[in-house]
Amino acid sequence: MRTPANIPGAVPVYEDFARCVHCGLCLNNCPTYRLWHLEGDSPRGRIRQMILVGNGELPLAEGFVGHIDKCLDCRACETACPSGVEYGKLVEHARARIETEYKRPLFARFTRNIVFKRLLPYPNRIAFAARLLRFYQRSGLQSLARASRILKLLGLAERERLLPRIDGHFFFRELGKTFPAQGARRARVAFFAGCIANVTFTKLNEATIRVLTANGCEVVVPSAQLCCGALAAHAGVRETARQLARKNIAAFGGGHFDAILTNAAGCGSTLKEYDHLFSPNEPEHPAAVAFGNSMRDVTEFLATLGLVAPLKETRLRVTYQDSCHLLHGQKVREAPRQLLRAIPGIEFVELPYSDICCGSAGVYNVTQTAASLDLLKEKMDYAKITRATTIVTANPGCLLQLRAGAEIHKTGQNVVHVVELLDSVLKQS
Amino acid sequence: MTATANLATRLESVLGAHRVVAAEPELREYAIDGMVPGAIVRPASAQEAAEVARFAITEKLAIVASGSRSKLDLGMPPARYDLALDMTGLHEIAHFDPGDLTLSVDAGMPLRQLARMLAEKGQFLPLAVPCCETSTVAGALASGIDSTLRKQYGTPRDFLIGAEFVDGKGALCKSGGRVVKNVTGYDLHKLLIGSLGTLALITRLNFRTFTLPQAHGGQVACFSNLEGASAYRDAIEKSGLPLANLETLSPEMVAQTAAVLRETSAEFAGRLDPAKWCVYASFEGNEAVVPRIARDLQKLANEAAAAGSEILDAASDAHLGGILREAFDWLRWASPAVALFRIALPQSNPGDLANLLRVAQDSSLRAALLVRAAGIVHFTLFVESENESALHALENAAARVFSLAGAGHGHATLLHAPSKLKSRVNVWGPNRADLGMMRHVKHSFDPRNIFAPGRFVGGI
Amino acid sequence: MPASLLRELNSLLGPSNVLHKIEDLVLYEYDGSVEKARPDLVVFPHTTEDVSRILKLATKYNVPIVGRGSGTGLSGGALARGGGTMIVFARMNRILELDLENARAVVQPGVVNLDITRAVEHAGLYFAPDPSSQKSCTIGGNVAENAGGPHTLAYGVTVNHVTALELVLPDGEIVRVGSKHGDTPGYDLCGLFVGSEGTLALVTEITVKLTRKAEAVKTLLAIFDAVDDASNTVAEITARGITPAACEMVDGWTLCAIEDYIHAGFPRDSAAILLVEVEGLREAVEAQAAAVEDVCRTHHAREVRIARDDRERDLLWKGRKNAFGALGRLAPSNYVLDGVIPRSKLPQALQQIQSIGKKYGFSIGNIFHAGDGNLHPIVLYDPRDPQQFENAIAASREIIRYCVELGGALTGEHGVGMEKNELMPLLFSDADFDLMRRVHDAFNPDSSLNPGKIFPLSKGCGEIRVRKQAETLPAHV
Repeated sequence: MRTPANIPGAVPVYEDFARCVHCGLCLNNCPTYRLWHLEGDSPRGRIRQMILVGNGELPLAEGFVGHIDKCLDCRACETACPSGVEYGKLVEHARARIETEYKRPLFARFTRNIVFKRLLPYPNRIAFAARLLRFYQRSGLQSLARASRILKLLGLAERERLLPRIDGHFFFRELGKTFPAQGARRARVAFFAGCIANVTFTKLNEATIRVLTANGCEVVVPSAQLCCGALAAHAGVRETARQLARKNIAAFGGGHFDAILTNAAGCGSTLKEYDHLFSPNEPEHPAAVAFGNSMRDVTEFLATLGLVAPLKETRLRVTYQDSCHLLHGQKVREAPRQLLRAIPGIEFVELPYSDICCGSAGVYNVTQTAASLDLLKEKMDYAKITRATTIVTANPGCLLQLRAGAEIHKTGQNVVHVVELLDSVLKQS
Repeated sequence: MTATANLATRLESVLGAHRVVAAEPELREYAIDGMVPGAIVRPASAQEAAEVARFAITEKLAIVASGSRSKLDLGMPPARYDLALDMTGLHEIAHFDPGDLTLSVDAGMPLRQLARMLAEKGQFLPLAVPCCETSTVAGALASGIDSTLRKQYGTPRDFLIGAEFVDGKGALCKSGGRVVKNVTGYDLHKLLIGSLGTLALITRLNFRTFTLPQAHGGQVACFSNLEGASAYRDAIEKSGLPLANLETLSPEMVAQTAAVLRETSAEFAGRLDPAKWCVYASFEGNEAVVPRIARDLQKLANEAAAAGSEILDAASDAHLGGILREAFDWLRWASPAVALFRIALPQSNPGDLANLLRVAQDSSLRAALLVRAAGIVHFTLFVESENESALHALENAAARVFSLAGAGHGHATLLHAPSKLKSRVNVWGPNRADLGMMRHVKHSFDPRNIFAPGRFVGGI
Repeated sequence: MPASLLRELNSLLGPSNVLHKIEDLVLYEYDGSVEKARPDLVVFPHTTEDVSRILKLATKYNVPIVGRGSGTGLSGGALARGGGTMIVFARMNRILELDLENARAVVQPGVVNLDITRAVEHAGLYFAPDPSSQKSCTIGGNVAENAGGPHTLAYGVTVNHVTALELVLPDGEIVRVGSKHGDTPGYDLCGLFVGSEGTLALVTEITVKLTRKAEAVKTLLAIFDAVDDASNTVAEITARGITPAACEMVDGWTLCAIEDYIHAGFPRDSAAILLVEVEGLREAVEAQAAAVEDVCRTHHAREVRIARDDRERDLLWKGRKNAFGALGRLAPSNYVLDGVIPRSKLPQALQQIQSIGKKYGFSIGNIFHAGDGNLHPIVLYDPRDPQQFENAIAASREIIRYCVELGGALTGEHGVGMEKNELMPLLFSDADFDLMRRVHDAFNPDSSLNPGKIFPLSKGCGEIRVRKQAETLPAHV
């Protein structure tokens, strides 16, 4: 029997695995199982592989790594699982183990190292990279590249389409500011701005602050905040994630907020589960638990607080794609729907299979582009059926993916975040 | 006569004299399409039935089991007919658990008697089949004849939960059980339904029973043409109203039904217009449900521009329903010679029915159509005598009906036909691709071919 | 497993539809049951022709074949007990035809049960059989096992909703039985094949009936302080001839585990609850709901709640349908039994199950289709403790024997599979087996299809076969 590597943070125990009674109720909820119908790419099969690898009955080799890499970590299986298996916890541990024990091909190691360890944790590097990318997008280079066949030849044409558009100004400049509530203050909240969102979702972040302040929230944007570490944690780069967690806990600590808010469901579920990164006997654990308890998704918070800002009547047929890490990771289903229905004149239609991932899943659309695009195609097929003019979702990653989907599949649908839609119907005060 | 006499004597030595009959007049009562058995045996228990089967195996004899013999004209005549096995001697209730709504009853139990017994506990078995005054429970089941309650309660497949029987090796076997939900082992008992005695000698049947409804009602709506009637029927189906029965009658069928109604001289409040197509709906439920359905049906009939429609009270509904339930019985004697088809067709296509009527027109034959629930059509052709030209006309018509049914993704069989026609037409229609599998089944149940040889599909 | 078989299958189906590495095969050695058996090869056909050709190859190489859908079965029906090639139908998952006019759907076997309903609900129709695994299990698996579910009380099990099948026999011959509309002359072969657990033929296309949604539905939750009161209520509901669409019972102990999962507001201090659903015309539903409530009160129900809307109703059902899995929260492993008893014997059966549990020192949960008399006692145990494991098996055997003693059956919906084949002699005689065997051999003469299922392998009355080896889990945990 092999000795398992030393992986920092919480380690799943016997009961965590034994909870899976291999009933198979997760299968059809799993996007990758639905694509390929392979047990190895189902939650049940992945858990079985983890057990076998743990027992040394299966090598920690290409096959296992491939199946675990293909997992979107969307956690739809957790919603389906009646036994309460915490799959997210298990798969992240498996990834951490792969990270320490498995030697990936050189190029993969190189890029993972750059992205997870050298780029995302450092705001100035993100800003620098963003300026480079903005130059590519605005200088005419992009049009040139798209017109030429170079992208196709490099096999990058589809990935290039999924690239976020870099904003003209960055949200970084708002860090450290406090935005007063309009009218009577109903709550004091801290805003978690994200990492890449600072350069690609400036408008979303600004809209979020407008909607919150319009509804009586004082919004503080702590300056020392960093990337939440979700992408690193999902990828198994656990030490980096732990570092980021420590710094964020410190950045938001002692502010006496009613809640810490994020508009990114992917970040939110990691932030809520910071305690998973530390084992219960580590000194950081209690603070991580407390931090997690004060985290709320912005839709969750607003739905509970109740909207008071007057809204314009808007004739729109909208549908809603659940963001996996909101629905499955945080079990928030009703809040965004409730907010949408609160807009006067809105016609809300359910999107069939809205609980299945759109294929965005963090960096999945870059690492597993083909699978991601297959999922996106099915998603857009259903989106068309709804005849909605606007697709609403609750996470920046999903927004990018669905916007690309609307473009690639020519559905002509507008894709916005819940708070962007709310912002657009705020009556100017 | 010696062979027969010997046969009877040998049988008597097995079962005792009082179980065997070989007298000519009685033998004739067991005739099938003119074929008379060599002897009649009346077993009094499943064991005795098994002994007869084993005797038949040793003596290479063919057995045709029967109950009240009300439907011996179904199927082809047997290829051989040595012994008539009269199962009416097995007529006990083996088990009745009213609290569980389950029943286990011997094969020869008359349906009427069973119904009375069940009614005492407020229950019934939804086998509303023709000749119900005399039919035995196993006879009704093995005949495969349709129950008019099929729409609401399904076919016996839906409420037969187990069976005991003697297989072709003379062994007492069982399948299923006495509980309402059961997937233990193969559901062999389902194969016995409609098998016309070709697989086994049924000795006991287990059923789930049902609670008698509190109230009944009916409606008759008339239409000037088939399309109108069909549209009304579709509207009823779409409405989702739960009906016990839903039948569409062609004008000729209406006329014949009205005539039978008159003969029975019972109080019948409704009117049947013999110049019209009629849709008869029967429904049941509690005291609130029945008037509600009646109201909804009247509304639908108005919307469908019915030429007339009226609600029947419980008594009139029972009366008309009873006559239509018995239609198979009286239609076959309604004229000197009759060919009565049973055709399963998709419900949605009235064109198929028009095509059937065209067959009758083309052959200048009088025809009656009765469309039962779930797309089962009874199509009857009447001829005035059994002469060659009539037989010829029927033969041609049968070929066309079989092919029409096949083209409409349905299937036709002849429920009743003049014996002489059966030598020209296989009443089961053209063979289907699954015949080979049926032969497999037959062979595994009855490897020596002792049960009703030749009576069934494809010569089984 | 001959290498040339692998080569031929690869060239027939393409390598992406053939699994042959151990690391892949170990993921097909389990299903939803406690059984285990590993296939030598796994293949994914896309068409009936594929299936036929695979079977011809299997005959040529004389290897056993077992069909599988999603692998959610509870009796090991879809496990390769004899090794050989496993045909997974998950990629044959197209809905071929929706005939809404005649309320029929024609589907491939890999279509997921609930996806049929999702495809037709816009027309007010649905597919009635609703096993608890319906969001994952395939219709092909439902057909093989003749699956049931809560609502089969009123609407019948799978066989009552299947009108035609396309089958492939072991020699590769493709045959069709039944018809889309009405019934066909001859023996009810559809009725024979549904529930034959993949031992006679492989099903490649299924025509199912669609059911019209009822106009009204009411879901009642009755809460009892004594299990006896709940079981007496069920017996009386049946005896009074009230026919609910579903009548489910959950004992209080199990209920707590469910409540932890779904937070539906189930009481944590009850002895048992009944979930009763009545459907039909508004007038009928009103009357039946009142009658059910009356019976509940007569038997001392502490409270009877009626779901106010679809959301409340869905929540109640979510609790019921996830019940088995929810017990995974209480113990590392559980063993779900499936027995049937006459409904009039329900009170005594539940008492006996409780005392059997006591005898072996187990808590035995009960979540079951009370209205059908279909019991699902659940024995919770820790597989790391060999004594507990032995006791779990002994207790289960005793419960099933008791069901048979009461006039019941070995299995109501999970199937015999490789779990209960050795118990079959409790119900069937040598003559019964002889006939069943002849029918089996008529279609599957070499036992190449799903060997080791249904029929007892040993002589005499045997055991429930539960995997003897306790589950092993990662060493470091």
